[in-house]
Amino acid sequence: MTNPYVPHIAVLRRIITENAMNDIKTFEVEFEDAEAARNFNYKPGQFGMVSYFGAGECPIGIASSPTDERSIEFTIKKVGVVTTALHNSMVGDKIGVRGPYGNGWPIEAMEGHNVLIVGAGFAFTTLRSLAKYILNEDNRGRFGDLTVLYGARNPGELIYKYDLNSWEKRDDIDLILTVDRGDESWTKRVGYVPTILEETSASSENAVAVICGPPIVIRLSMPILTKLGFTPEKTYLSLEMRMKCGIGKCGRCNVGDKFVCQDGPVFSQKELQEMPKEY
Amino acid sequence: MNHKVIAKDGIREFIDGLIEEYRVFAPVEGKKILRLREISSGEEACLDFYNTKMSSKEALFPQNEVLFTYKKDREAIEKEATSPMKREQVLFGVRPCDAKGVTLTDVFFSSGEHRDQPYLEKRDRTAIVGLACNRPLNTCFCTSTGGSPFGKEGMDLLLVDLGERYLVEILTERGERLLGAAHGLRDATEEDMKLAQRLSNEADNAFSKELPTEGLSERLDGMFEDPIWDTIHQKCVGCGICTFVCPTCWCFDVVDEEKANGAIRIRLWDTCQLPLFTLQGSGFNPRPSGKERLRQRVMHKLNYFPKEFGSLACVGCGRCVRECPVNLDIREIIETIMSM
Amino acid sequence: MVGGEDKIREIAGRLLREGEVDLIIGYEKGTLPLRSTPSFIRDQNDLYKLIWDPTCDINLSKYLHGRDEKIGILAKGCDARSIVVCGSEGQIDMGKVVIIGLPCSGVIDRKKIEAEMEGREVLEATFADQSLVIRGEGFEEVLPIKGFMDDSCLSCRHRNPPVYDVLVGEPLPEITGANEYAEVDELESKSAEERWGYFVEEMGSCIRCYSCRNVCPMCYCKECFVDETMPAWFGKTNELTDTIIYHLVRAIHLTGRCVDCGACSRACPMDINLKALTKKAEKIARERFNFEVGLTTEEAPVLGVFKEDDSEEFII
Repeated sequence: MTNPYVPHIAVLRRIITENAMNDIKTFEVEFEDAEAARNFNYKPGQFGMVSYFGAGECPIGIASSPTDERSIEFTIKKVGVVTTALHNSMVGDKIGVRGPYGNGWPIEAMEGHNVLIVGAGFAFTTLRSLAKYILNEDNRGRFGDLTVLYGARNPGELIYKYDLNSWEKRDDIDLILTVDRGDESWTKRVGYVPTILEETSASSENAVAVICGPPIVIRLSMPILTKLGFTPEKTYLSLEMRMKCGIGKCGRCNVGDKFVCQDGPVFSQKELQEMPKEY
Repeated sequence: MNHKVIAKDGIREFIDGLIEEYRVFAPVEGKKILRLREISSGEEACLDFYNTKMSSKEALFPQNEVLFTYKKDREAIEKEATSPMKREQVLFGVRPCDAKGVTLTDVFFSSGEHRDQPYLEKRDRTAIVGLACNRPLNTCFCTSTGGSPFGKEGMDLLLVDLGERYLVEILTERGERLLGAAHGLRDATEEDMKLAQRLSNEADNAFSKELPTEGLSERLDGMFEDPIWDTIHQKCVGCGICTFVCPTCWCFDVVDEEKANGAIRIRLWDTCQLPLFTLQGSGFNPRPSGKERLRQRVMHKLNYFPKEFGSLACVGCGRCVRECPVNLDIREIIETIMSM
Repeated sequence: MVGGEDKIREIAGRLLREGEVDLIIGYEKGTLPLRSTPSFIRDQNDLYKLIWDPTCDINLSKYLHGRDEKIGILAKGCDARSIVVCGSEGQIDMGKVVIIGLPCSGVIDRKKIEAEMEGREVLEATFADQSLVIRGEGFEEVLPIKGFMDDSCLSCRHRNPPVYDVLVGEPLPEITGANEYAEVDELESKSAEERWGYFVEEMGSCIRCYSCRNVCPMCYCKECFVDETMPAWFGKTNELTDTIIYHLVRAIHLTGRCVDCGACSRACPMDINLKALTKKAEKIARERFNFEVGLTTEEAPVLGVFKEDDSEEFII
């Protein structure tokens, strides 16, 4: 039995600043140990426990897709001790990673369906992983239409701009971007994500909806998805909870008889309805 | 024959014999508090008591446990997982409620895809010598939670106080091996067995009341939004003593601490009763007030855990009842819920 | 001190009936002998639950925080002073609080009684005049209440609440001639080494449960210094250094605010002598700043306000 709390060492290969406020960065990491790298087989929607040795550890959604040839990416927002330490790191520094944990987005349930992805703000990270996975040429054929609705507070806060730019040029994805408040150069939509969701009236026929965002966005968007005809079985969310162990032992992410880190973080709306309303 | 008898005079010697081969933990009378502590001689053990202040989880799931150590410099990070226990250990004088608590902890830490190796490794190398309760306290309610004052769950040996001698019931192979350190054992006679049975019946009848726990878990289904929580939580000050003294509370925090020549990652006891427990990086807290946090404790112990593992996560030891500074009594909560 | 319950119920009933308060916070009988428990009453029919006897040790002012309604609260001298402190610190709207003052001759110290019992369980306890009658399996003992009172009560300066809206019964004569700082003086007379040894031993059994903090009405910070991470002031394990820092800093935070109600010491499951620190902090406030806390809402926190004649001996 190995100690599940001991992370593997990973090296920071690339650091990209994602937003104008400079508090969201994407870290590309590579495991030092080849076997650890080989064993880290993840699905979109899973997360890893990322350590900054000396500061601590926190759960971060995996932002890269398993189809990427590049190494694993974590997009991290600076909010506390560990994330600040990570933000102050440089390429070549070593951190700890263990995982992958969690259940991931329900790929099998989405195959053969149209997919609607709704994301707001920083929560877009694992949705980007999912979108990239679906768009990959080996996978694209198994899914129907792909619509991605993504919004941020203002244009500077949109992350993965390089991916968004390339997606806009593709014809196998309908990308709808919006901001709460535009600026002089913004020519696309302006409006809150729930509002735009209602405006675009995405079709729910043979479709699965996947949504991730701050609690308020989720609370306002869910009724709209229902109105559009998305059933609770076909609507999925990724929950956020404070986590310390990532393996269902420390008790922190316990909701009802489930642990968000093990039974989630992805839940269907139907599953959520059967869980205690802790949100 | 798996029942022996040892004279009370011989117990200290037995414990001394165990100390030669194992690390032995027994109830030790501190200046003010009785707690399970490692002992270096049989004389230190106190076997005439109701129950220890803190449960036996102290020995298997220590309040502070180093998960691993590491050294860091510009070039490399060296990790070192903490080495396994060199010697096996014996917890001596554990009451049936606490031993049952250990089995529930075992179930939890070995569940799921990732087993908790630090705990399980210790557990595998731990023997438990239980001590039956001839006289439960007024605050005890183990029989209402599926336990019993003469219960044997989790133990390798069970001692029953018969006066100037103990009946020793051998429950496992490991328990039999432990008895190798005892001298002057004799087989139990029918008289010994009859006395033990009488004491057991007396103990069962000594409980001041049985709580209505039949169907409790099911009753709580669907009670998450019930207004009863608004009144139940009112007097709770959210201190967390209940979780610290509880044999079946195992939530923990993980922190890094830098030391002079390296750093350690430690896990330490944590409590769902404090707001920081579920506070998210964004500032949002799904359990913002005492009401949600108390509800979580009660629901987890009496509804969520039973749904998943088939047993209430409460062994009726009564410690939370005794230690709560405002006398918030889980027995009252159970009665209130069942009377609704 | 025994008795007066009828008067309490009458006063509480009138306040509720006349709409002066929406909620009464008092004491009711606990589920264990020698215990009382906080009572929250909104209905006339529940008033019978209110009790008043030497088991009423909880400082109820803790429950005033964060409530927006009009509350009638039963308060002993120390509790009333806590209310005043929280009022002067802007945490409680004094206009919404009706203090039902309780002249108090002292509460019992359960730990002293437990020690006297030497391991025997108390099954029943009743008060009769100046005595406490304890019954257990096969024994009955009559103890003098005074001998088993909380130490703070034996030298209490304010048996009568200094601030109240209505008083239950007649004021009691205040205690004179008691040296309330006897234990502090004794500790101060020891050498630094001896004192350190004493505190190391006491704090060694701390399990960092934070009950002391949570029962204290003056510990109301939304983010306690214990939980701060940027920077983290000290570690969360029960390594001795970290534990001692926690207790020292808490005592410092309470200097000039602590009313010596004893709730912290009574709550501690490890029987740590917390009062040694909080009493010393209280002594500092009194002697160095000539300040007795909790007597009027016009006061300002002694460590929060600079006066030109403040003692500076500890700086120079």
